[in-house]
Amino acid sequence: MDKQTFLLWAERNARRIGVKKGQVIKAFEKEMMAQAGSDAPFEIPDTMHVNMRYSYGGQSRFFREILENKRLMGTRCGTCGKVFCPPRSHCPVCYEQTAWIELKGTGKLLSYTTVYFATSSYIKRVPYIVAYIKLDGADTAILSNVEMKDIKKAQVGMEVKVMFRKQRDGRITDIYFKEAQ
Amino acid sequence: MRKVGIVGIGTTQFRSRWIEKTYFELAFDAVKSALADAGITRDRIDCVVYGIYNDFFERQFQPDLFVHDYLGMAPKPAIRVSTGGATGGSAISAGFAQIASGLYDVCLVAGVEKSADCFDYETGKSSPEVLKAISYTADMTYEQPTGRTAAGSFALTTIAHREKYGNPTELQMAKVSVKNHTNALLNPVAQSPIALTVDDVMKSPMIAYPFKRYDNCLYSEGSAVLILASEDVARTLKKPPVWIKGIGAALDWAVIGNRQDLYSFESSRIAAKKAYTMAGIHDPVEEIDLAELHDAFTGTELIAYEDCFFCNEGAGGRLIDEGVVMRDGKLPVNVSGGLIGCGHAVGATGIMQANEIVMHLRDEAGRRQIKNAKTGLVQSIGGPGAAWTVCLVLERDEK
Ligand SMILES: [Zn+2]
Repeated sequence: MDKQTFLLWAERNARRIGVKKGQVIKAFEKEMMAQAGSDAPFEIPDTMHVNMRYSYGGQSRFFREILENKRLMGTRCGTCGKVFCPPRSHCPVCYEQTAWIELKGTGKLLSYTTVYFATSSYIKRVPYIVAYIKLDGADTAILSNVEMKDIKKAQVGMEVKVMFRKQRDGRITDIYFKEAQ
Repeated sequence: MRKVGIVGIGTTQFRSRWIEKTYFELAFDAVKSALADAGITRDRIDCVVYGIYNDFFERQFQPDLFVHDYLGMAPKPAIRVSTGGATGGSAISAGFAQIASGLYDVCLVAGVEKSADCFDYETGKSSPEVLKAISYTADMTYEQPTGRTAAGSFALTTIAHREKYGNPTELQMAKVSVKNHTNALLNPVAQSPIALTVDDVMKSPMIAYPFKRYDNCLYSEGSAVLILASEDVARTLKKPPVWIKGIGAALDWAVIGNRQDLYSFESSRIAAKKAYTMAGIHDPVEEIDLAELHDAFTGTELIAYEDCFFCNEGAGGRLIDEGVVMRDGKLPVNVSGGLIGCGHAVGATGIMQANEIVMHLRDEAGRRQIKNAKTGLVQSIGGPGAAWTVCLVLERDEK
């Protein structure tokens, strides 16, 4: 491929997959400009992408209460009394419908990890802490991010409290946790 | 239930990238060598089980359809199995059922995976985009958006284990990494044969605390295939069959916060126990000659010693300290190099592990042969926090 054809090819493909033209040029320059034999492996820029409009179904109230009222909810099984957070519409043991209850938002770290190498969607955020938190009053643990000044001070058993982000979108990442004072 | 034997095996090289092959071409190579190994042609295959994990990796939903086409297996019946890292083990288990039930006599079990076609244009690297494709296996409502990675899910268990028992220590994990990278030096299909030192591992960059770069396996591209047959057919083929004596499987809570405890993998304990009961194994360290355990991370191999009942809970670290699991130890673990040394071509991994055991039980493992190996264990785990486990006990033919 001559340079002019390659640059036009890179521009079309960058638009097609939603990345910068320069990034396609960088990734393919060597391969596409080389005088490769006709049997040399041939790669193309590509993507798989599907847009959605996702319904939270019976879990909806959990996300709406966070978004609109900064309230952290769980669900309780009326038969066995177990409290679930993340919430479940049904108890997996009794198979009965659960009822919504409000949680205080304090809890303890059951375990954690600090992520230093992440997926392409999160790589700019590293390092960050991901932890299982058992909320006071709940019987299950929720996975969330813990934000602290010195991330090396995270430890199992640490007491934390829920925080609500200023800008909330109706996603689980609308909440995170901080060390309780 | 009928006896089921492994009568043919084939494994391609595990590489970080097979730019010159598509996933169906890779599968073809491994199938061709498995058929040759069994001394049969494709006409003898009654049914197929495909082990392929991630549709993004292959850039194809239901990639089994197109492997089947490429192999010229139409119109034989086939199913595809996908259970994360345990896909290979689950595919063998599904194939076992086809033969044991009496439904078919010869079953091809074909595992294959590409991954490095995933590419992150921003960093100019594959791995962040590979991790993104994997991340969709986590619970999308409550867990995936937190940015927890696959390594992160196993790191959480390792930290919880360390909190309860004081191990695995950084040094014990480094020793496992050195063992598996070194074992891979003798394996011609391995991706990461490296003569490492404990110091190299300890000084490698942190990936997900407490795992460092060399505590992790690398993603591989490759294919591994085996052929299963009923006893009647197996006895007529050219090589002595290796029998599947025990199979155990479990799928634990995948939202890990629903589990009772975070410090061990309950699915692995259940699967190992079931497989041992079926195979009549009472004392695994005495009765098993070698094991291929799912060492996606060094910490998980150490926990697997406990989950497979090689020792009591909390004592896993001792087995590496005392050399029990070294290739010259009482129960060598991951002589192939495991996922860390040989590689992790997800859908093919469990089958690669089984093929390794088969080679030892047939005395075909060359320079890395474990002498007089009669019984081997395969542990195949996958999903968030090892939600899935499949364990297989394989035995040499005594006739
Ligand atoms: Zn209940």
